[in-house]
Amino acid sequence: MSHHIEDSRNSCALHGALQVYEAIEGVVPVIHSTSGCGVQHYLGGTRLSGGNAPFGSAPVSSTNIREKHVVFGGGSRLREQLKNSVKVVQGDLYAIVTGCSIEMVGDDVPAMAKEGLDQDWPVVYANTPGFRGDVHQGYQLAVRALIEQLPDIWKGASPAPAGLVNIWGIIPNQDPFWRGNLRELGRLLEAIGLVPNLLLGDGQDVESWKKVPGAAFNLAVSSWGELPARLLEERYGTPFISLAGLPVGTAAADLLYQLTGELGLDQPRIDAVIAREEARLSHQFARLADTYYRTGFQREFALIGESAQVVGIGEFLAKSLGLLPRLLVITDNPPDPVQKALVTRLNPIVPGYETDIIFSEDRAGIGASVRDSGAGIVLGSSLEQEAAEELGVPFLAVSFPLADRIVLDRGYAGYRGATALLEDLGSVILSDSYHQVV
Amino acid sequence: MSEKIGKHIAIYGKGGIGKSTTTSNISAALAESGYRVIQIGCDPKSDSTTILRGGNDLPTVLDTLREQSRVRLDDISAIGFGGVLCIEAGGPVPGVGCAGRGINAAVEQLQDLKVFEEFKPDFVLYDVLGDVVCGGFAVPIRDGLADRAFVVTSSDFMAVFAANNLFKAVTKYAPSGGARLGGIIANSILAPYATSLIDDFADRTGSRVIGYVPRSLTVAQSELYGKTVIEAVPQSEQAQVYRDLAKFIVEDEEAIIPRPLNGPELKKWAREWGDKIFEVEAGVVHEMASI
Repeated sequence: MSHHIEDSRNSCALHGALQVYEAIEGVVPVIHSTSGCGVQHYLGGTRLSGGNAPFGSAPVSSTNIREKHVVFGGGSRLREQLKNSVKVVQGDLYAIVTGCSIEMVGDDVPAMAKEGLDQDWPVVYANTPGFRGDVHQGYQLAVRALIEQLPDIWKGASPAPAGLVNIWGIIPNQDPFWRGNLRELGRLLEAIGLVPNLLLGDGQDVESWKKVPGAAFNLAVSSWGELPARLLEERYGTPFISLAGLPVGTAAADLLYQLTGELGLDQPRIDAVIAREEARLSHQFARLADTYYRTGFQREFALIGESAQVVGIGEFLAKSLGLLPRLLVITDNPPDPVQKALVTRLNPIVPGYETDIIFSEDRAGIGASVRDSGAGIVLGSSLEQEAAEELGVPFLAVSFPLADRIVLDRGYAGYRGATALLEDLGSVILSDSYHQVV
Repeated sequence: MSEKIGKHIAIYGKGGIGKSTTTSNISAALAESGYRVIQIGCDPKSDSTTILRGGNDLPTVLDTLREQSRVRLDDISAIGFGGVLCIEAGGPVPGVGCAGRGINAAVEQLQDLKVFEEFKPDFVLYDVLGDVVCGGFAVPIRDGLADRAFVVTSSDFMAVFAANNLFKAVTKYAPSGGARLGGIIANSILAPYATSLIDDFADRTGSRVIGYVPRSLTVAQSELYGKTVIEAVPQSEQAQVYRDLAKFIVEDEEAIIPRPLNGPELKKWAREWGDKIFEVEAGVVHEMASI
């Protein structure tokens, strides 16, 4: 049966690819599409993700094709735009991403990229029309293009340090806490003697990507990261593990032990790292105890977000903090087998307690489910704030779109992410309790 | 769209089947009878109207779109035999761009130029590329642009296949105001069975054949001189065939929604005809058939 979707939070594949390329220093994206694709990416994507939009709205090169390019082909327009982009913007890599109309027409984009390469311009291309999927497929198409095309451009891989681990599956901006999450995962890997290859975000550049083939291991922290990990296993035989969600709090220990097993790391060192991190978190729990009981932390919650967030945050809240998962809404529309696996994993999180699990990207439907849930606290995107207000319960914005929080360094992954979550969640509960008393 | 001026007719058919020749000869015959005629070639090859205008070059509508210059009707049209206004939509080179969108853009451009208001035609003939390969090529039969569509076919299976595809497009668009089917023009009739085969296809699909054009050296010769048969050999029998077709189109305005065959039906029908033709060629005599 058909149904309408109100305010979908999943943008198109072109935008997902742009979000990848914009997160790598020195990469100059070139949009080959009609005008408006880049602006829409700014308006509907980067501007709504924790106040991190690029200064000056959408400073991205675009062919802005017109009807004559549709009729006669847009190859020459792309050639011209690529040439101009190379002249105007100094980059380490130029990445062509294509929109719907140009893919309907069937422009020979690989040939245009090759023309660039023949002139010694480092050019890659990703065919990313919106009809190939949403922002998540766009992420996959963009990283796939880099994995497949970069080795030819740079004539083989750069030497990678021993113990290098590529991290996949965190989509810039679609996870508003992506920088902080990547950084914390990197910190934990470093602590156990590995070398994290974060690939995206602050300071990550094409040098990081040159090392990808030589990594010892690939770590996917969402189902969307499994595709690049599998691709690298096929091409280079690199082993990988794929997690259903972000490891938050104690779940990070499970990840570190798993890596220890996979990579044959030094067990006493890992034990020491985990003991230190767990002790710190336990100490924080203890300090929170008075507020926890006084304000009634333990309550039913509704959590709305991407599968990786729902798994990571939901399990932490339920298993470590004793909250009850009344409603979990997964918004990233994962494929059917992944959905089945998620349901198996998440129900029940708390034995004997029934959790409603919904897969939806429809604001109206999600809002209705939140209102019906009767939850005592709502964690979701800015789109769920209204429903939380109607319920009269505290609300914490944790997922995209995140329109009213600034996120510069914060993340909810790992041990430090657990601390940040305790602070943020505790603050909204405490604030609500305080204002009710006053 | 403003009120339609003149009768608009779209002529479809498989590539190389003789669509442009047939259309041009019908245009010439209409013009000879005193009608004001516009023929619009909707094919990137841009050679629909060649034999109406002695083979001279004619800039296409889409060439002007590419250049983005201000365009006048005079720039993209030529007066051909009998005063027929000849226009070529044009399109991209093979393998590049979207010819379907090109047809759409060209028709819009012609409407912007108010071609029909200025020329005040009695008949507008759209000569449309081959099979209905995508939505763009269905433009002339959508949106009420043309009133009637005709299909040119030979007795070759692929030509009939293309005709059947046109029927599918007509069936899709006619209920919402698109063109209906005027009929089938049987072309290049040479083999003895050809007429029966096309008649049978018409019967099966609830359509009709409006004329049979025999394969003729006169047509080939006239084309070599860059002329229609009407112009080059006006007294010939072949010219009369085209005049009869034109007369039919003028006088008989019946148009229907056909019943295209689905894939398996079309294949089964083709196999049956394959068997019949084999039997004719091999001289098979069925029981009692010779009595």
